[in-house]
Amino acid sequence: MVRNCDVLIAELAGGLEPVKPLRFAHGMAITLIAAAVSVAVVIALFGMRPDLQAGMVNPVHLIATGLFLGLAVAASVTVIVMSRPCVGSDHGGWRWAAAMAALLPAAGLIVGLAGGGDLVSQESFNHGLTCFAIGSSGSVLVLAILVWWLRKGAPTAPDRAGLVTGIAAGSFGIFAFSLHCPESDIVHIGVWHSAVVLSMGAVGRAVVPLLVRW
Amino acid sequence: MCRMRADEATLARLMVMSQQGDKQAYASLLEACQRWLRGYYARRVAPAQLDDLVQETLIALHTKRASWDSARPFLPWLAAIARYRWVDHLRRLYRAGECELQAEIAGNDDEPAIAARITLERLFGVLPEAQARAIALVKIEGLSIAEASHATGQSESLVKVNIHRGLKKLAHMIEKA
Repeated sequence: MVRNCDVLIAELAGGLEPVKPLRFAHGMAITLIAAAVSVAVVIALFGMRPDLQAGMVNPVHLIATGLFLGLAVAASVTVIVMSRPCVGSDHGGWRWAAAMAALLPAAGLIVGLAGGGDLVSQESFNHGLTCFAIGSSGSVLVLAILVWWLRKGAPTAPDRAGLVTGIAAGSFGIFAFSLHCPESDIVHIGVWHSAVVLSMGAVGRAVVPLLVRW
Repeated sequence: MCRMRADEATLARLMVMSQQGDKQAYASLLEACQRWLRGYYARRVAPAQLDDLVQETLIALHTKRASWDSARPFLPWLAAIARYRWVDHLRRLYRAGECELQAEIAGNDDEPAIAARITLERLFGVLPEAQARAIALVKIEGLSIAEASHATGQSESLVKVNIHRGLKKLAHMIEKA
């Protein structure tokens, strides 16, 4: 860069256009709208769980779905906050929600290894794979919205922003599919539903930083 | 152009006007930010790189000006952008094999060199001894890999690995701070 600072300032000021500041509420609103659209599409395509349709709830399903939703919202809040640089900002709140949601795979593995659930049959595997595939697909819209928001903003920790973006998208995706999936077995939920969050976190960590660096 | 003091309230007011498209306010803001950035980077980069880094940061500020919200303070926003550009600058230096810290701290004035040395030693305190020693010998004292290997008793490959891991850890710490 060879030009003089004063010349640069004159150029930047001369070409100034008004901009609309990024607002936290706006970022959260479009993320939640994207999540709602994902839920609507999943239910329109696959239908709602029979017990929910009948106005009943299964406790394990309720807790698991609630934990995924909590993680999705906490991670989304973090991503929106990360899009606006500020020294001293705390970006660690989502970790508590992740620690709570981590009880699901932990419980699923413990129960599964203790023989309390069907972990290895072909039918169980196929059903799990379907949940994984559709849950991951259901994450794409939220992922795209959060990446778009981060690109509008200025994340100063792109690697962490990518990881949290993937986790937020994966949690919303599996939350949406949980409203269809009729399974309430902790082994199935802990292994296959949690796998969506973990894999989307890995995808986010690997891909998103390349898209949001500035 | 008037030379104003870069206080929080004035900068925030100018930024609000700039986001609304006021070119005069924006020019004043950039001028004040330029002075603030020169002070910020003065002890962090070699004098020869200062102007480029200030200009890069002003361009980043321009491109990302929508990411500041008037409900939040301005200077922490500017500092976060400045730190991000600085870490990126360090990464590029490292990747280009130009991470000669000796040259950066050996200015005409001893005071910045001493300050940089104190900062480095504080950073080295969190590294394993082998990594800190390898970085100090090769990147600060200017020894070759072979000389550092001889001085530390580490193999040449281990010296390179320790430098790589140590610098990576330092960059990560600075980014997290």
